[in-house]
Amino acid sequence: MSRITIPIGPQHPALKEPLSLLLTAEGERIVESTLRIGYAHRGLERIFQNRNYVQNIHIVERVCGICSHVHTTAYCQGVEALLGLQVPPRALYLRTLLCELERIHSHLLWLGVLAEHIGFTTVFMYTWRDREIVLDIMEELSGGRVAHAVNAIGGVRIDIDSEHIDSILARLDDLERQIDTFLGVVLHEHTFQVRTHAIGRLTAEQARRYCVVGPVARASGIDVDLRRDEPYAVYDQLDFRVIVAHEGDVWARTMVRTMESVESLQMCRQLLRNLPDGPLAVRAPRHVPAGEVISRCEAPRGELVYYIRSDGSDRPARVKVRTPTLPSLAALAEQLQDINTADVPAVLAGVDLCIACADR
Amino acid sequence: MNIDLVLQVLHERFPTDPLKPRTVPIDETVVTLTPENLRPAVQTLIERFDLRHLSTITGIDTGDEIELLYHFWDGQGLTLRTSLPRENPHTVTLIDLIPGAAFYEREASEMLHIVFDGHPTPDPFLLPDDWEGAPPLRKEEAP
Repeated sequence: MSRITIPIGPQHPALKEPLSLLLTAEGERIVESTLRIGYAHRGLERIFQNRNYVQNIHIVERVCGICSHVHTTAYCQGVEALLGLQVPPRALYLRTLLCELERIHSHLLWLGVLAEHIGFTTVFMYTWRDREIVLDIMEELSGGRVAHAVNAIGGVRIDIDSEHIDSILARLDDLERQIDTFLGVVLHEHTFQVRTHAIGRLTAEQARRYCVVGPVARASGIDVDLRRDEPYAVYDQLDFRVIVAHEGDVWARTMVRTMESVESLQMCRQLLRNLPDGPLAVRAPRHVPAGEVISRCEAPRGELVYYIRSDGSDRPARVKVRTPTLPSLAALAEQLQDINTADVPAVLAGVDLCIACADR
Repeated sequence: MNIDLVLQVLHERFPTDPLKPRTVPIDETVVTLTPENLRPAVQTLIERFDLRHLSTITGIDTGDEIELLYHFWDGQGLTLRTSLPRENPHTVTLIDLIPGAAFYEREASEMLHIVFDGHPTPDPFLLPDDWEGAPPLRKEEAP
């Protein structure tokens, strides 16, 4: 059968961000794929070296346009470790609260994108409507819907009062009812099942070979979550389940992310109900002692790594960022192999790629 | 991962390497190896401890040399460090052992001009195809 090469991107209606994918198809079957990224590369790792530690928070927040808060969390906790700062418990609780709200927002956004890619526009509309509940809460807390500017070196820049806590708790109940509805769709809706089952499959062994992380790894049966395995902030004080599935297909990833959203809601409730009193930040010196640190966080897409080296000045000698999308991209060719051309959008959406993150 | 056992095995296998294990925040052990022993060390870690999760590779131009840091993770962090000369730095690829290393090696390669011998696709990764400037993370040469 003759082969045909199909270019997808860098600009393409099925892509939300620039990415170039060259697919080779025999009839309807994909037999080969090559990938090129870098269209959103901004040279951030170089820029970090020319700014001081405080200025860099602003840039770190802009690595990703979805999970901006977890980036500043990883960066700030790294710098705090170099400085030997003890961050006050109230600050750590608020930091963690924003991390979990951000996870719900990211997972709902993703569910909408997937639904749209498989032609299920109703779910896309409802998830993005209900995602506004989380965005409103984050905007009230921080002033920003996506870039929150909550983290500072030594603590946080926001506070919350008891009236506001009650108001958020009430809205989290509304949101939980909606997420339960989406879970029902994922579990029982025939359209959803046929477009996601056995598609984009990644076995546990394949996921390990490509060092895949986060919900994609967990949907392939790899039981790993840094919030439980190497707790940071106040995750060691929270009660939550790590959701693992074994099918490794787009459907399993949907299950994992949707159920994780429910867990995150429970964590937000625990954080709001048990919020300790006390200061919000400690003073941080401008100069950071010479040393190095590796700071890891569980971003909505998985393990996020910041390596920071200090030479004793007020500017880092090196900041390295590894975002969870990179290993997912490395494993993409395996998932596209031998699938039907019409399933390509579902596979691309299923991975939850964040290209701006990967390109930096 | 039992870090003491890992260090003991590395020490027995590479008695002449500096190793100099030290702990850095947050919960990470850094071990120094000579460039020629890095790949055998990774092979040993995979065979003995099934340590296959390579978080990333960090390349640093210190001004005197190019440092390469291989960050592994299994419950806690283990970083293998090695140093290459600034002139014509070469090292051997790991992608046959860890396919996930492919992107990290390409990135280190174009940002610092390191050659990973045996890498099948050493093409531009993040930089434009027609990039002609200096490698972005190299320190400027003294005037």
